Amino acid sequence: MADMLAVEHLVAGYGDARILEDVSFSLRAGESLALLGRNGVGKTTLIVSLMGIARRFAGSIAWHGKPLDAYRTHQRARAGLGWVPQERHVFPSLTVEEHLTVVARPGAWNLRRVYTQFPRLEERRANLGNQLSGGEQQMLAIGRALMTNPALLLLDEPMEGLAPIVVQELAAALRALVSTGEMAVIVCEQHARLALSMTGRALVLERGRVVHEGPSAALLADPARLAELVAVA
Amino acid sequence: MLGNFIGVLFDGIAYGALLFVIAIGLSITLGLMNLINLAHGAFAMLGGYVTVLAMSRLGVPFYGALLAAFVIAGGMGGVLERVLYRRLYRRPPLDQVLFTIGLVFMAMATTTYFFGPSQQPVRVPEYLAGQVRVLGRDFGAYRLFLIAVVAAIVVGLTLLIEKTRIGAQVRAAVDNRVAAEGLGIDVDRVFTLTFMLGSALAGLGGGLAIDVLGLDPVFPLKYMVYFLLVVAVGGAGSIGGTLTAALMLGIFDIAGKYYVPSMGSFIIYFLLIVLLVLFPRGLAGRRG
Repeated sequence: MADMLAVEHLVAGYGDARILEDVSFSLRAGESLALLGRNGVGKTTLIVSLMGIARRFAGSIAWHGKPLDAYRTHQRARAGLGWVPQERHVFPSLTVEEHLTVVARPGAWNLRRVYTQFPRLEERRANLGNQLSGGEQQMLAIGRALMTNPALLLLDEPMEGLAPIVVQELAAALRALVSTGEMAVIVCEQHARLALSMTGRALVLERGRVVHEGPSAALLADPARLAELVAVA
Repeated sequence: MLGNFIGVLFDGIAYGALLFVIAIGLSITLGLMNLINLAHGAFAMLGGYVTVLAMSRLGVPFYGALLAAFVIAGGMGGVLERVLYRRLYRRPPLDQVLFTIGLVFMAMATTTYFFGPSQQPVRVPEYLAGQVRVLGRDFGAYRLFLIAVVAAIVVGLTLLIEKTRIGAQVRAAVDNRVAAEGLGIDVDRVFTLTFMLGSALAGLGGGLAIDVLGLDPVFPLKYMVYFLLVVAVGGAGSIGGTLTAALMLGIFDIAGKYYVPSMGSFIIYFLLIVLLVLFPRGLAGRRG
């Protein structure tokens, strides 16, 4: 099968600052990828580069063989990139249900299915975005991205700042999501073991470059190598 | 005395209603796009001239002429947003102010060139020209009509913003532009549509205003301060805030000129200072 997403020698950052020095990887439909690395190695920059929000200096990003450069940010979302931003970016003046309907596009994911996946959101359907707890906001950000019926879900630090019990609940939901294989997933995560346990492949970044690529299970089975790659020095 | 007071209150509400129709578009563009559009009144003037010309030269009835004012001002807003205003969104406020005040002078000069400097007359339908007796008291029929039209606009706008998908897209774009785009909302298109609606309402307001405020080429300059006052006091981007501010200014302006004519417009400027000291972000403002 042809690659859905192909990133080649990407150099990207913000303003004049280059964060990603040289990143290449590819992803096929339905694949899952853990994006790992210490803080500040460029994981989020890579995600927002895919969305067309960071500045690309060199290299290329292709989506189904076509350069993504030609797509503006909202067109990338419509083309099938489902963005769950690190800051969550819920809308303070929209209700939970409006968050879901305002971005909805036809497909397997609809309001009913999102509510089945995240019952908490249904309970809070009439609440405004800024009246939610951190965990609820994260569920909403994920549900909102699912409503766009993406071919690739981009999860940027989904567990950040959440209580352990919420992390468990959310991890179970994400694992179920990934295992269906109906969409490809990139999970960028500080909790390396958690991300590895729910993905097929892993990509580790270090100072804006790829320093490791391989099956998630192999990395999970080699704690020494994992510690060397991602543990805080 | 009481009779006068009710009359003044009524005239003030009608006047405030008119200020609301014209200023709401300015409030929305400022709240949504952070654009200071001093030329907003020029869209109202355009609507006024469309109304007058459609009636006098083409024989279009009053309501048809108002509809034409709404449509043409909205269309002009759409064109100018795509061609000119879009370039201003990321510019500093001073650039926006200088550019749009330039547009005001161009609009004034163009209007004078084609239609001369004099006041334009409008003939409202017979039944709107007279008085209506309500509860034993006479009210100007046209002012009642103004209030009814504005009430309908407030309800319609509120439903549009609060209950429709495009309204939710507008709110999402205001809340967080990057996230809205990242989830597939075409924020540029939302901006264009919003700008068109604001311009169209200004055009409608301009047509409605002829009988009350008059219409000549200095209209956009003469009333610019009033529109800006309404937005400054009401808080950018808020329908409720803009309505409250427009009604307050309308009532206080009429009352001031009626009871203490020697103070002229001083009353509303004093009110403005008091309100902005108490509510520096506007009555319902979410942005500074």
